[in-house]
Amino acid sequence: MASLVIYLAVGITFYWIIKFMIYEEVESRLVVEKRDFETYVRANDTWSNNSYFVENKIEVQPVFGRFKNETVFTDTLISNRYEESPDPFRQLTFYTLIGGSPYRVAIRKSMIQSYKLIEAISAAMIAFLGLLLVSTFLFHRSLSGKLWQPFYDSLARIKDFDWTKNKPLETVRSEITEFNELGDVMEKMASKMQHDYRSLREFTENASHEIQTPLALINARVEQFIQSKDLGESHTYWIEEIYHAARRMSRLNQGLLLLAKIENQQFTEQENVDLSALVLNKLKDFEDIIQHKEIKVCIDEQGSFRKIMSPALGEILVTNLINNAIRHNYTGGELRISTNKDHIEVSNTGAALKSDPERLFERFKKESTGAESLGLGLAIVKQICDSCELHISYQYQEPMHVIKVAK
Amino acid sequence: MKILVVEDEKGLAESITDYLSREGFICEVANTFWQADEKISLYQYDCTIVDLTLPDGDGFDIIQTLKKIAATTGIIIISARNTLEDKIKGLEIGSDDYMTKPFHLSELNARVKSLIRRRHFGGNNDMIWKEITVQLAARKVFIRDTETMLSRKEYDLLLYFLSNIDVALTKESIAEHLWGDNMDSADSLDMVYSHIKNLRRKIVEKGGKDYIQSIYGIGYKFTAS
Repeated sequence: MASLVIYLAVGITFYWIIKFMIYEEVESRLVVEKRDFETYVRANDTWSNNSYFVENKIEVQPVFGRFKNETVFTDTLISNRYEESPDPFRQLTFYTLIGGSPYRVAIRKSMIQSYKLIEAISAAMIAFLGLLLVSTFLFHRSLSGKLWQPFYDSLARIKDFDWTKNKPLETVRSEITEFNELGDVMEKMASKMQHDYRSLREFTENASHEIQTPLALINARVEQFIQSKDLGESHTYWIEEIYHAARRMSRLNQGLLLLAKIENQQFTEQENVDLSALVLNKLKDFEDIIQHKEIKVCIDEQGSFRKIMSPALGEILVTNLINNAIRHNYTGGELRISTNKDHIEVSNTGAALKSDPERLFERFKKESTGAESLGLGLAIVKQICDSCELHISYQYQEPMHVIKVAK
Repeated sequence: MKILVVEDEKGLAESITDYLSREGFICEVANTFWQADEKISLYQYDCTIVDLTLPDGDGFDIIQTLKKIAATTGIIIISARNTLEDKIKGLEIGSDDYMTKPFHLSELNARVKSLIRRRHFGGNNDMIWKEITVQLAARKVFIRDTETMLSRKEYDLLLYFLSNIDVALTKESIAEHLWGDNMDSADSLDMVYSHIKNLRRKIVEKGGKDYIQSIYGIGYKFTAS
């Protein structure tokens, strides 16, 4: 674009320069002829106004008293005697005295040749410049295509790079030092990413082990301790507290590790999971508690909601949704499940939300202050939805809390 | 009945052996992979409890060796790893059960017993305690030779108690035994209470004694005293 502008500017400037130079040349010749004319008039004191030729035409006209002491160059068109077409002329007009009376003298020179010259030169110039422009453009394109080829190849490989796999990133080697350096840096970064990913993975597993083992020990010791015969009431109270805290911590730890694993995309297995069937199936596991809380279950099944995802995550998703709907339900409440091929809706009766519904899916957002609730259930649901590209939303449709999972 | 406990955490290994010894098992402990390897090649055990993560080796390797030299040994994995892959792998290479840490000792005890029953009697024997007889194969319960109809959960509960006679069981361990660990809520403890009430009633109705003792703040104990 810029080169096109420059090209035009250069072309126009060039044209003006040539034109200016040709005018200069013509005008200097006109001035010389004027001097010749004056010398001739001074010597002969007369002028026969009958020169026939168009070229070097000198026109002398008497002016009666309207003598102006000026010398002017003008452009004029004079019709061609044979072709009836106007030809361009450059004309020098001045006033002089011939035989004592004033005359206006016009000396003309045809510009027709000069114009042709200008045109020819300009055309040649424009053609050559244009050719140059096009060829530079093509040259640059092929050159940069060739130069950048290794770059684009490497870029494609970087795009395809998967840090969860063990395959290292290999960029394309070329003769360009900068690209090789870039490639080295990218390779280093990639291997660092893979390494970090692996160590994070190992960390989540090790952390689980390291924390669960002492917790298992606490649990076991407490269980041993309660077997002793002579426990007072205050003892059992303390023991119960310790036992509860340890169990809670263990569940928290498991919940957080699960979140981390989902975040790290450690559930790589993919299957076409029928979530609707899974919900109905899982509901059976909750039969007892549903009966116990006298919850009325309504199922509206209009087609199955399928999604390609990890079956393990699908199960966790469904379990957490049902668990949530039962946990926050009241005795004699209602649990409604409606599914079709686009969404699953799990709705339950329950006390209105005290906190901001927007923050319902955040970690540790607990509605009840009850120690039993960890505040991780819905955060896990949300995380699973995010990682599986499912859309989750919450709505309160009096008196039901509706959680909808859609594609 | 001899049991080998392969667990690197010494305290936990001690707890397990103490608990199982009270139940009449003879327990041995291996704290490292090589100890375990040595023991299983020298002695025979009825049941082996294996931790997967050991400082000098992988519990899976022990199970594989064990399967080669003593195929009849029952194997229970105890691990902090709770991924589905580990569980599936464990079962594939021949273990009988998989428990995720932390677990209840009473639950481990119940599973060891049920495993040994399965191994030795093919699950066809009866469990008899005082006037209570449980026909395991038919899932039937008789009190003083008259059948009492128990619901599925009540039957599970009774079996859990019978596996843990004279042991204080926490409400939580009972709830987890009956419903698994995704049922953690105050409601499940209420449900334990109502199931225990029903079980107690059904045993007493048929002329059995009330063996279920509640322990304040903790849970219940099935005991004759």
